[in-house]
Amino acid sequence: MSVVRTKQLTRVYKGKEVVSNVNMNVGQGEIYGMLGPNGAGKTTVMKMLTNLIKPTAGEIELFGERLTDTSYRQLGRMGTIIENPIFYDKLTARDNLELHCEYLGYPNKMAIDEALELVNLRKVDGKLVKEFSLGMKQRLGIARAITAKPELLILDEPINGLDPLGMKELRDLFKMLSKQYGITIIISSHMLGEIELIADTIAVMNDGKLLQEVSMDHIAKQTSEYIEITTGECSKAAYVLENHLHISNVRVTDEGQIRIYDCPIPQSELMKALVLHDVAIEAVHKKKGSLEDYFLSIVNGGVVVV
Amino acid sequence: MFKLMRLEMRKFRIGTYIRAAVIANVVILALVCAISLNEEITQDVPFTSYGMAFSVIDTLVRGTYVVFAAVLLSRLVIDEFRSKSITVLFMYPINRKKLIAAKLLVVALFTLAADIAANLFIGAGFLLFNQFTDIIAEPITGAIAAHSLFVTVMSALATSLLGLIPLYIGMRNYSGAATVASSFFVVALVCQTADGFTLYSIIAVPIGLALLGAAVAYMSIRNIEHIDVLK
Repeated sequence: MSVVRTKQLTRVYKGKEVVSNVNMNVGQGEIYGMLGPNGAGKTTVMKMLTNLIKPTAGEIELFGERLTDTSYRQLGRMGTIIENPIFYDKLTARDNLELHCEYLGYPNKMAIDEALELVNLRKVDGKLVKEFSLGMKQRLGIARAITAKPELLILDEPINGLDPLGMKELRDLFKMLSKQYGITIIISSHMLGEIELIADTIAVMNDGKLLQEVSMDHIAKQTSEYIEITTGECSKAAYVLENHLHISNVRVTDEGQIRIYDCPIPQSELMKALVLHDVAIEAVHKKKGSLEDYFLSIVNGGVVVV
Repeated sequence: MFKLMRLEMRKFRIGTYIRAAVIANVVILALVCAISLNEEITQDVPFTSYGMAFSVIDTLVRGTYVVFAAVLLSRLVIDEFRSKSITVLFMYPINRKKLIAAKLLVVALFTLAADIAANLFIGAGFLLFNQFTDIIAEPITGAIAAHSLFVTVMSALATSLLGLIPLYIGMRNYSGAATVASSFFVVALVCQTADGFTLYSIIAVPIGLALLGAAVAYMSIRNIEHIDVLK
């Protein structure tokens, strides 16, 4: 079942389409990573999902129901951080969470302690939020989002401002929330490495468009092992590979490197054939493709198929 | 609605404002006593009857609480938009109209209660002061007291609503300073006197301004569900 579904979601701002015909499908219990450079439209989509801004066209379905201007009930089933986490700075961390529970009508005060414990802020709960660092505010934002055990978490760049250890802790926390409690999580980031480590499905966005929505399993297959050959004679090498060795899964990168995926013959034979055809080889590496390559190939078309 | 108002008061520490109001009242009382003494010396007329004295007190109180209301509006409403914390509030499963209405009700009711309380406190204080100084010679009768109380309550009702007018200016660009500054214009309109004549004494003026305040409040919540909160 889809927890979130958008159809042709579009938002025009000052005559420019900042979100353009986005069709998203977020399944129950999955971690859905929205990946894209700054200004790709990730935050705008999230603001539309939370009813903070209204779509110019298209529609949003949350928990199987269409989101309208007065869909308040659906909002109660979500926990969110949009842009920077915002608090009442002159109140303590605990006061902020207590207010949150009051507004949601969530009676269990124990949940506040649990949430603070999960993000390691239990010891500073009596401190005013204005004394918090950005990283602490991020953690508190996550604590607030998860306090009332929502079914859907919408987190906009939640790992900004955290140190590497903090990032890992939160990554583990998100995975735990997803696996143990079945919470569906939509998380946005421009940091490929982070998304790669937690997401089940990745939506690549650029320039307001959703370029691809793909499962990590699929990407794992796409980004399989390859042999990378650095040579000054790319076209000659490609010709040899294709016509003499009959290898078709060959790509030439912008940097003048040749990548051979699923190479059917041993590397030594490959080298021999190239050398015999007078192709000057500078370097040969066996590599595993990363999400970064995949991402760049979608966003920039950085890899050209021969 | 009552719960929402209670949460607003908790969030913004209403106690601080009550303390500030008490201090303001003491200052006004001191001011009224000082003026009345001065008037006695110059034999200039405003403090010749209780009616006039209470009218001066009411004017001072009105001016103070119109500005006070603007400060509250700026904290409860404008600041929430400026600091974007309104986005947090608007993501709760609560009708947005109710959320904003609760804030405006807190401001209006606070102004109403504070205006009446201030008039009673300062009026009583002045009566006590008069016992020792005899600035006003006439005796205080039940009729004078009842009439003054009626005028005070009516005036406070109007003040509580017209105190919302600065919201219109403040919401233009989410500026707390503009809200408070515009309240001074409202004060200038409703508290001025020229030779004992005040614009506020024309009954249509307070009623008209109160309706304007109510209209501003209505305008601020009418479309709140359909607009983009923050772009």
